Amino acid sequence: MNNHTRLSNSQQIALIALRTLIGWHFLYEGYYKFALPGWSADGTRLSAWSSAGYLKAATGPLAVLFRRMPDAGWTTFLDGTVKISLALIGISLMLGLFTRLGCWGALLLLVLFYLLMIPLGGTQQPGSEGAYLVVNKTLIEAAAVAALLAFNTGAIAGLDLLFANRKERLAAKLRTDTAN
Amino acid sequence: MNLTDEQKEQGRRNFLKALAGTPALAALGAAAAMQGPVKGGPVKAAVIGTGGMGRGLIAQCQKDLIDLVALCDINPKRRRAVTEMLIKNGRAQPKEYEDWREMLQKEDLEAVIIATPLWSHAEIAVGCLDAGKHVLCEKMIAKNEADCHRMIDAMRRNKRILEIGYQRYYNPVYQASYNNIVKQGLIGDVYFARLVWHRNANWRRKEDPPTPDFDPSKWGYPDWEHLVNWRLYKQYSEGLTAELGSHLITATNWFFEAAPVAAYATGSIARYNDGREVFDHVYATLEYPGGRAATFSSIESNAFEDHYEMFLGTKGTLILQNEVEVYLFYEGEAATTKVEVSRQADAPVADTSATRPADAQGRTVNAATTEQVDRNISYRNEIAEFCASVRTGRPVRCGPEKAMQSARAVFTANRAAEKGQRLALTEA
Repeated sequence: MNNHTRLSNSQQIALIALRTLIGWHFLYEGYYKFALPGWSADGTRLSAWSSAGYLKAATGPLAVLFRRMPDAGWTTFLDGTVKISLALIGISLMLGLFTRLGCWGALLLLVLFYLLMIPLGGTQQPGSEGAYLVVNKTLIEAAAVAALLAFNTGAIAGLDLLFANRKERLAAKLRTDTAN
Repeated sequence: MNLTDEQKEQGRRNFLKALAGTPALAALGAAAAMQGPVKGGPVKAAVIGTGGMGRGLIAQCQKDLIDLVALCDINPKRRRAVTEMLIKNGRAQPKEYEDWREMLQKEDLEAVIIATPLWSHAEIAVGCLDAGKHVLCEKMIAKNEADCHRMIDAMRRNKRILEIGYQRYYNPVYQASYNNIVKQGLIGDVYFARLVWHRNANWRRKEDPPTPDFDPSKWGYPDWEHLVNWRLYKQYSEGLTAELGSHLITATNWFFEAAPVAAYATGSIARYNDGREVFDHVYATLEYPGGRAATFSSIESNAFEDHYEMFLGTKGTLILQNEVEVYLFYEGEAATTKVEVSRQADAPVADTSATRPADAQGRTVNAATTEQVDRNISYRNEIAEFCASVRTGRPVRCGPEKAMQSARAVFTANRAAEKGQRLALTEA
């Protein structure tokens, strides 16, 4: 019996909704970065996205390391990796495809983003919509992804079920063949 | 295959579970395609006409918005001067063409800016639109009403953008005055506008031909004089009412939210009887619906008043002076309130440097963020918004329909002056 069978329907729905929402957040972040440079719907010119600015502005315990990355010529590689990773993780979480891998990827990125800029000031920072101390929305999203991992939501709903069903059918066939 | 009802139900559930995130992905993906950023770099464009106006527009083209790949002008000296200006400003060297048709054939363009003499607007704009290019055409839209219709038809036929360059629509001073003063009723009901553009100078220009043997006849001008001073000849120009007055009339149409219905006008070649065919002094009265009127005068013998639009309302008077300054006089008050423009929000807002409290809706007082408006902002915004419309499909602020309303007023005023009678604006 899978763990998820012990969950009520509403608990299962809540977990899948959480996974879908987080997946969309990742997918759109990736899509948006791919779509730049471009124009907003209201006609504003949008510059190309680059991780260099974020890395240069890094704070926290790994700031020295992050700040060196653009100077070491990592920007192009990092930009491409981040964009592709965000999009693939987003698709994975939304469709429930390779869900565990997607969750681990999401967790890794979110932790890196958190470490890039840990809110230690306790006051509202420019561009931020709230005031944070140690805990910010990135960290909360990471915790939510950790919960998705713990509950193995790929076994509740998503395309992973197709593979799981196929595996079960193959195992059953093998058992039947062996018995015969 | 014989499935029980229970198996069928289980199968349906499994299917739906497997596809759990797919509907959300499709719905949100469609939303992203509509609302997300539109991919695309600077608009690849060319400028046809590199005289004073064309050169001025080119100077306001921002390189991250518009990529000027080609220039076209029948005067090689002017083309060369603009090319040198662009190179000096760090822009790529554009290709130069004498013939706009050849340019359209050889260049991969998305848009064209037209800044040629008035009489040529329709032919060039229709040619560009038919070639699938978006067009930003300098004002006035065209030399006659039939040409206006040709341009509008070409725009619709080709499903392309046609914007007419009335830069006041893109001027924060005018936007703030309309949105935060006129529309808010601060000057009450406006029955009269006074439009003035006075200069104390000869409109005639002096310029040498690019080469001694330069022949303008193949471009429709009998000699160099008619080319360089096309504004003075009726075959090419509608005179002061078009070149200066149409700006003011367009702004009045905007603020009145209406177009004139009739015109009286008179004029004379009073000072410069030098062979020109258009008046150097023009006086017109335009009737608007609702008993409203605007008077326009343009003279070339006194520059004391320079140029302004004055809207005289039942509660106050609004004066937009030289496109950069705004003044608000309340009825019965001696004090003047100078209105400045702040960019504190998405749109410009009027900001009174107060002789009385800013107590009306839509006005804000925050002198710290007040910025000086220079006239070039209008052109810069105009080109930027044109590029944005090309990329995103956002409607332009001044399309040909609006521009044609002021053009019709100009045509009617000029015919009224010639005939010495009141003429109604009727559909051609």
